[in-house]
Amino acid sequence: MPRLTLKHILSKKNDTEALMHSLINEMKAHVSITDEKHNYLSGNKEIITQHEHPIKLQEEIIGWVKGDEKSNYVASLLTLLMQKEFERKNLGNEVLTLYQEVNMVFNFSDKLAQAIDPVSIAEITVNEAMHLIRATSGVVVLWDENNKQLQIPATVGEDLFSKKNLASHADVLLKIGLSGQSDIMNDLTALRDAGIIDAKIQTVIYAALKVKHRIMGAIILAGDKPMQYAASDLKFLTTLALQSSSAIESALLYEKNIREALEREEAIRRVYEVTAKFVPYEFIGSLGYKVITDVKLGDQVEKNVTVLFTDIRDYTSLSEQMTPEENFQFVSSYNERMGPIIRKHKGFINQYLGDAIMALFPESAEASLIAAIEMQRNIHAFNALQKTKNLPTIKMGIGMHTGPLIMGITGDKDRLDATTISDTVNTASRIESLTKHYKASILLSEKTLQQIQHPENFHLRYLGKVQVKGRHSSIGIYECFGSDEEEQVIKKDETLALFNEGIHHYLNKSFTGAIKCFLSVTEINTEDSTAQFFLDHSMRCLQKGVPENWSGVVEMINK
Amino acid sequence: MEQKILIVDDEPHIRMLIEQTLEELEDEGVEFLTAENGEIALEIIQEENPQLVFLDVMMPKMNGMEVCRKVKKELALNDVFIVLLTAKGQELDRQKGNEVGADVYMTKPFDPEAILGKAREVLGL
Repeated sequence: MPRLTLKHILSKKNDTEALMHSLINEMKAHVSITDEKHNYLSGNKEIITQHEHPIKLQEEIIGWVKGDEKSNYVASLLTLLMQKEFERKNLGNEVLTLYQEVNMVFNFSDKLAQAIDPVSIAEITVNEAMHLIRATSGVVVLWDENNKQLQIPATVGEDLFSKKNLASHADVLLKIGLSGQSDIMNDLTALRDAGIIDAKIQTVIYAALKVKHRIMGAIILAGDKPMQYAASDLKFLTTLALQSSSAIESALLYEKNIREALEREEAIRRVYEVTAKFVPYEFIGSLGYKVITDVKLGDQVEKNVTVLFTDIRDYTSLSEQMTPEENFQFVSSYNERMGPIIRKHKGFINQYLGDAIMALFPESAEASLIAAIEMQRNIHAFNALQKTKNLPTIKMGIGMHTGPLIMGITGDKDRLDATTISDTVNTASRIESLTKHYKASILLSEKTLQQIQHPENFHLRYLGKVQVKGRHSSIGIYECFGSDEEEQVIKKDETLALFNEGIHHYLNKSFTGAIKCFLSVTEINTEDSTAQFFLDHSMRCLQKGVPENWSGVVEMINK
Repeated sequence: MEQKILIVDDEPHIRMLIEQTLEELEDEGVEFLTAENGEIALEIIQEENPQLVFLDVMMPKMNGMEVCRKVKKELALNDVFIVLLTAKGQELDRQKGNEVGADVYMTKPFDPEAILGKAREVLGL
């Protein structure tokens, strides 16, 4: 109740005093006003006690009007004025209380705006509640829709609920936590029976956290004095709960959105990962893109690369002996062997063409040669395995050429293909097919050799020049015998000088000299089929003779 | 010397609320004065010399910033402690408040405890 004394009212320069004085003057009354203890306050200093009338406020006497018979009127007026002042002050206090609530809501909103995760929001909420409402402990409980269980994201003060008993008596807490109600509980029997609440807790106050579609949980405070919570406390708590609910709901939605966005990103990443297996990343990268989705019809780039072709000799007759399924298995396991070797040496497979593979080595010609040698060795190992199982063995030819190449996207708007187009590709393919002609396992062009910094590290033999039918220029080709059996490598190294001499004679049409050299070579190394080939060829040329313009250049025909 | 507090706001309920908040000071001898616009506020300040003024910023005729500037900069009445009151979110006013010489800056809705505390502090009660 606001303090209100008569002295208080009379001493203020306000309407009360003015009104009273004008009334007294008008009535020409002789009055004095005293407090409840008869001390003078206002009016005539000479106090006449002919008439005495009390001034009352809420059934209590707070002063006296003493004087003539008109004191009655003055007393009535003052009583009325006091009552009005009293009511005014009461109203003022109520408004102030409401204003404090407004201030609290504003402040709480400000604080909530600082957090975007549910745990922080729960913590801010329970801290604010404990700040405004006296309690020994407080918790926020939330229902986790995904895991179908009750969570406690924030707790302040001593543990409100005994965790171990909570697990087995969750239903008691669920009743409060998901009731959707707000209330004060003074009868804690149910909670005590379930053993989840401490003995010193005497009363519990809680408010529901809910949004339009669902009940999310509740904020629960506990006090150690019985009946300590009033309706005003509940009002505060529900106001906090209301604001907190929408903040938590937004936070949960935000988390969900982030989660889903990450999942979508992951799904897209997996798609890109898979597309890279169909169109190699190197291809896309060469066109200047990071992702396949940027590629468009007509994109192209010219690069200098080494092109490598592999082919299984006489595969046609081999495949006739197998069922389609066996064929597929065969080619599959072949590809699975060769693929990793190519990638290991920084090449990438442009195409699988049945029993042939076309690979590109954009960075290093040397790498392609090393890869070729390793691939041949792998086939030797494969053949050894096949023999133990009485299965057929294979022979593989590899050809390499280096030159400019255009990589691009061709097709039509609804069907695209990553294509490589150039002479370089055709030449490389034909060089590979020459491996049969020369009975060599690996052939490379002089253009490829030019790119190799240390050719002396590789076992190479010059075999002469070749030319595409109808073209003018010819290119030299070399055999690499580094992948042959160890014995062969040693023998071919030994006979290298002789062989080279033989080639020299052969190209200069001195076939007799050539025959002599190649004969010596084949005598030392009976298994050198290339030398044997040149021997036979030289003998034929000597026998039949060659035209005037013969230069030893072999014409490369279509496969 | 008699202690006076001047409350300046064009909204009557705000004037009433501040008076209500500071009510207990009345028993301690503080006199409350009110003004509903800047012009009247200036007159009262010059006539009555209040020690503390609660000054709303957003008012018709002459706003709080202008009043503050006149009092602090033009008239150089340094014994008057001015608390500027403004709606939350008008943080720019803080800067301007500094420029016109305000002593303290509070936002509305105000915290009644803060108002009372500041009054006691300034008046030494």
